[in-house]
Amino acid sequence: MFRHLDFFDFFRWVLGTIVTIYATVITIQSLWGWVTWLSGSDKYMTMLRRYLIIHGLRLRFKTFWGDAIICLLLCVAFVIIWRAHVIIYDLGARLSNVPVAYQR
Amino acid sequence: MSRSPTSDEPKLLTDASQGGGPDPRAQVPVRDITSGVSPNRQLSELPRDELDHLAEEFGLDATKFKNRQDLVEALHERRQLIASLDREAMLDVVRWGRRPVTASASKEQIAQEIARIKSMRFAGLSQPGLVVLARLRALDATDGESVPVLVRKLKKKESIFSRLGRKRRAVIGSLISRMIGEEGPGDYQFLPGDGVAPTAAAPAPTIKEDIEESGLVGGITNRIKKTADAYLNQKLDEIEGRIDRKLDEIDRRLAEWRDKEIANRIRILKITLWASVIVAIVSLIYSYVMEVFVRHH
Repeated sequence: MFRHLDFFDFFRWVLGTIVTIYATVITIQSLWGWVTWLSGSDKYMTMLRRYLIIHGLRLRFKTFWGDAIICLLLCVAFVIIWRAHVIIYDLGARLSNVPVAYQR
Repeated sequence: MSRSPTSDEPKLLTDASQGGGPDPRAQVPVRDITSGVSPNRQLSELPRDELDHLAEEFGLDATKFKNRQDLVEALHERRQLIASLDREAMLDVVRWGRRPVTASASKEQIAQEIARIKSMRFAGLSQPGLVVLARLRALDATDGESVPVLVRKLKKKESIFSRLGRKRRAVIGSLISRMIGEEGPGDYQFLPGDGVAPTAAAPAPTIKEDIEESGLVGGITNRIKKTADAYLNQKLDEIEGRIDRKLDEIDRRLAEWRDKEIANRIRILKITLWASVIVAIVSLIYSYVMEVFVRHH
């Protein structure tokens, strides 16, 4: 069963799965905590909510535009590489079919 | 500045003496003069001491009215008179008299402050203001009368004893003023209200004028009170300024912290994405080698 196991593939899939689940859980936990804390109805919470909104509106994109654009381009590169994987696997599958057809 | 009192000013009652036929003034919509306006019926229900107090507030001498009904009538007429006065002209009088009234105060509140002004120095008061003051001091003054005529009428209205008393107080005030060596008059700040900018008006009175108006003890008390008020206001302004500066500092620090925090988060995200892309490239090369070369050769 483990004779054809590719360790690099195994490492990729296990790491990808664990990291994705961990990051998702941590993000949702953090967001839920903030939502619960800020959803209080007393006047100080209302004031804090408004203050946060104001701070959000005062945020200037120009301050972070360099890093934000790099992040966006890296995301695009990641998607392209993913697509390249699919193409290579497809190529591999086609190549593996060639000798069989030739034998027939 | 002055408007005719018969233009669009509110009327509390129609004139019964005009007999039948529709009264043109009855067509004018009746507005509330102040929150404290009470109909005649309610005034008549008030006890005598309250009526006396009300009369005093409106500048009426309650002792002149032996009969309770006469007092009620006088109060009612006074209210009608106040309703017919020009508000801007009333504010002129308040500024001239240096009374603490907010710009949004009602006509009756302004009239009550004007009733407390006993000064006979009319310098700096506008003609509409003089008309208002004369009417509130129970003088028959019309809009078209000139300033000297109005001043003469107002001075004639003052009784001989009041004049003597004022002169006596003026002498005492002059003596005291010379004793303490008072400086010139300062700036009076007309109290603003409801977002209205402060309006500069007549300069603050000298101690001589204070004593002339309120007597020796009253004048000195007023002066001490005003000095204490000014000192307190100055200190309150300083405290307010300090709090504002502190709040601005907190806000600035929070904004800095927010920018720093977001920059850090984006940097972490960038590093994670770089790592993911590098691993993906390695994986792509590995997949290519495995699929094209190793498995088919």
